[in-house]
Amino acid sequence: MLAEIGIATLLLAFVAALYATVAALYGARTGSERLVISARNAALTTFPLLLTACVALVAALLSGRYDIAYVWTVSNPQTPTFYRITALWGSQSGSLLFWSLMLSGYSCGAILFNWKSDRRLMPYVIAFTMVTLAFFIGLKVFLENPFDRYWAVNGELVKSTFIPQGAEAIPYENLANSAQGLNPLLRHFGMIIHPPMLYLGFTGFMIPFAFAMAALASGDLSTNWIRATRRWTLVAWLFLALGLLLGGRWAYDVLGWGGYWGWDPVENAAFLPWLVGTAFLHSVLIQEKRGMLKVWNMFLVIGTFSAMIFGTFATRSGLIASVHSFARSPIGFPMFVFWSCMTLVSVVLILWRRNRGDLKDERAFANILSRESLFVLNNIIFMMLVVAIFWGSFGAPVLSELFGGTRITLGTEYFMTVTPPLFAALYILMGVAPLTAWGVTSLPRLGRALLIPVVLTLITVVLFALMGMSSPGALFAYAIVTLAGYVALYEIYRGVRTRARKEATRTMGLYANALIELFARNRRRYGGYVVHLGITVIGIGVIGSTLFQQQTQQTLSIGETLSIGGYQLRYNGLTQALAEDERQMIIADVTLLRDGNELSVLRPRTDYYLLSDNTTMPMTIAGAYSTLENDFYVLLIGWEEQTDTTATFKVYINPLINLVWWGGLILMFGTVIAAYPARETVRASVVAPAKNKVGARA
Amino acid sequence: MAEAAWEKPLGTGAAPRSWSVERLKFLIGGVLILGAVAYLMISGTLAGARYYITVDQLLSNQEYVGQTVRVSGAVIGSTITNTTEIINGVETQIIEFDVANVPENYTDLGQALYEAANNPNAQTVHVRVEGQPMPDLLQHEAQAILSGTLNRDGGQGGVPVFYATELLLKCPTRMSETYPDLTPAAPGA
Repeated sequence: MLAEIGIATLLLAFVAALYATVAALYGARTGSERLVISARNAALTTFPLLLTACVALVAALLSGRYDIAYVWTVSNPQTPTFYRITALWGSQSGSLLFWSLMLSGYSCGAILFNWKSDRRLMPYVIAFTMVTLAFFIGLKVFLENPFDRYWAVNGELVKSTFIPQGAEAIPYENLANSAQGLNPLLRHFGMIIHPPMLYLGFTGFMIPFAFAMAALASGDLSTNWIRATRRWTLVAWLFLALGLLLGGRWAYDVLGWGGYWGWDPVENAAFLPWLVGTAFLHSVLIQEKRGMLKVWNMFLVIGTFSAMIFGTFATRSGLIASVHSFARSPIGFPMFVFWSCMTLVSVVLILWRRNRGDLKDERAFANILSRESLFVLNNIIFMMLVVAIFWGSFGAPVLSELFGGTRITLGTEYFMTVTPPLFAALYILMGVAPLTAWGVTSLPRLGRALLIPVVLTLITVVLFALMGMSSPGALFAYAIVTLAGYVALYEIYRGVRTRARKEATRTMGLYANALIELFARNRRRYGGYVVHLGITVIGIGVIGSTLFQQQTQQTLSIGETLSIGGYQLRYNGLTQALAEDERQMIIADVTLLRDGNELSVLRPRTDYYLLSDNTTMPMTIAGAYSTLENDFYVLLIGWEEQTDTTATFKVYINPLINLVWWGGLILMFGTVIAAYPARETVRASVVAPAKNKVGARA
Repeated sequence: MAEAAWEKPLGTGAAPRSWSVERLKFLIGGVLILGAVAYLMISGTLAGARYYITVDQLLSNQEYVGQTVRVSGAVIGSTITNTTEIINGVETQIIEFDVANVPENYTDLGQALYEAANNPNAQTVHVRVEGQPMPDLLQHEAQAILSGTLNRDGGQGGVPVFYATELLLKCPTRMSETYPDLTPAAPGA
């Protein structure tokens, strides 16, 4: 019954999305209000339908319906309840279903919230969101159905969505024995929320894209589409950033190499839309404030959407070899075709409007030292990063194979050569651009504004040098990263000071009130500065953990100690245990000391998961002692099987690595401030629609 | 007193210069940036480029000996060893195993890995990885993607050993679809 519910709701959602697309376009073309409303209603039904399909699949996972192939693949009788729920996105077809639910959620949200205020854009917004949704639901209905079941046909096992001729149902209890269970690598907190965050980021970028395309199609090329999508873009950007950070945290905790970013093509595929989206968030400000870069912003919003679809395609098509990629599957080619078509349609729409002169800028750049020029420079650097990462991950391997016959891949050296100077340039711009004015800034004025942050930066660098940091490269890197942070702090301070000056008596309470008022009145600007602070903190963490990582490996007898970076690690012994889900655990007991003082007892371990074919899969779980200063990260990599008297440990000290995660939290806080709607800026939601006429022809 | 400005006002510190001069500045700046990024990408490509080849190609072509390449193959589980050695006075983890050739053109990678790892006649190469913890995914029939160099230890005609500096593994269960058998469930399952 659960499978039938899932199949029926998927089919209905597919039909509803297709109908909404056609009705919205036809309604806009003919000016039929009735049809557009009908399209809206059809679009709104996709969410409850897809939610029902997801609930049906989760119910099947919870109740062990192993006759459903997806359930058999990602769970088994030993799988804990919590992981049964998260198994919804544990494999390809389930994750596509979840992906579609989120896309539908965003689409319905945008339709509901923006229906009255952006009525002219709505038919096209519905059409663009629903055609994308129909495509993704279609992939599931026709190619990767999560509700496919196993049937017995003449003694043979057959997988099919519908009942094959002469088929007999297989009691699902009979399949429980061989059910595979969730990949042990995915049983981690970071992996539980990392995919939903990434999907929320990916699918969220659909909304600015749909509004931009609606602006092009409807001819409403004012800043309406930008104002309508600003918060949607910020929300998508935030989720994608969190997804990337959580992915890094998962790699750090689970993959056991002491790092969090490996320049793997799949990691890069998720990073690319974030980079384009960040460029878009900056450049769209110029269009709002100065009426410039209209064509460029359109290209950026297409670029974000295109990178999102391409990333999904690259991960799920077998195009690239990566530890993260899914198996080669039949959805690769349709996804490539869809990606090409949507990109082509978008570019044609832009070129059509541009040739008609509808996307003319209202101003020209007046001076190279202006805020808009530096924002453009910021955009160029972001796009250069995108090109460089795309080339290293996809361009070089695919083109070399196509034209040279042999695939050439680019290793980490390539990314470590190309990206650091570009990131450095971005940090410098992050430090300078907020201090410039729109239109034109004089050098002396900029110099005066930079004076205090530069002095603070120099003091910091001298302090680092006095603390023993001797690498000129590291000092330079810290200088440009901290400059960006000091500028953000200085700008906040200046805003507070200006507000506080209005009052006669100055108290701490006054400054606190001024700070709150400053953020309340200018959420977008000061939220942006908090985001810059978060990026600064992440930068400090990345530099520290990349340049100053220490590692060692030693075999210790019980009671013996190893030393590294001022720490001592004492091995106390080894124990074995059996977990509730039948994992066999080998646990080392070690004591961490510093200067003879006991800091903590760590328990690095190796878990052995019993797989369905009666083999075991090991999983190394690090023991870590975390402070803001560093992470002491220890792995149990070997032990004496017979006597348990010796064990081998790999130890890493990762300086400042926790700043990467703390910076992520600050970034999240800043984005929430920037996106939170201010009472005075809530737009009037009573824009009357044209009489029985929507989507007026351009 | 006026409210703190939302954005900075238009600057008045300098008079706008002629558009053609500014345009020239933008152009020169743009060319410099593009040139610098192109240089970075070319030098990075030259430093990081590796041929991505099969075990057969690695062993049959002398030009790959001593060159950093990327090789893909199927891990033969029975050959995996995990030991420690003292290298330059430092205790170092040594992982060794054989990988079998997986043909370039296949339709089902899982099947291709299975056949390669279990074919006694498949071309194999011995792999040695130094200083890395034993990866959890290093198991029979896993796909190994290795970056490193092939050296012929023991002089000309000696046993070829691939010294890997980077080891990427994919679990065979993620590569191909498996099906249940129709054996009745154990009581209480």
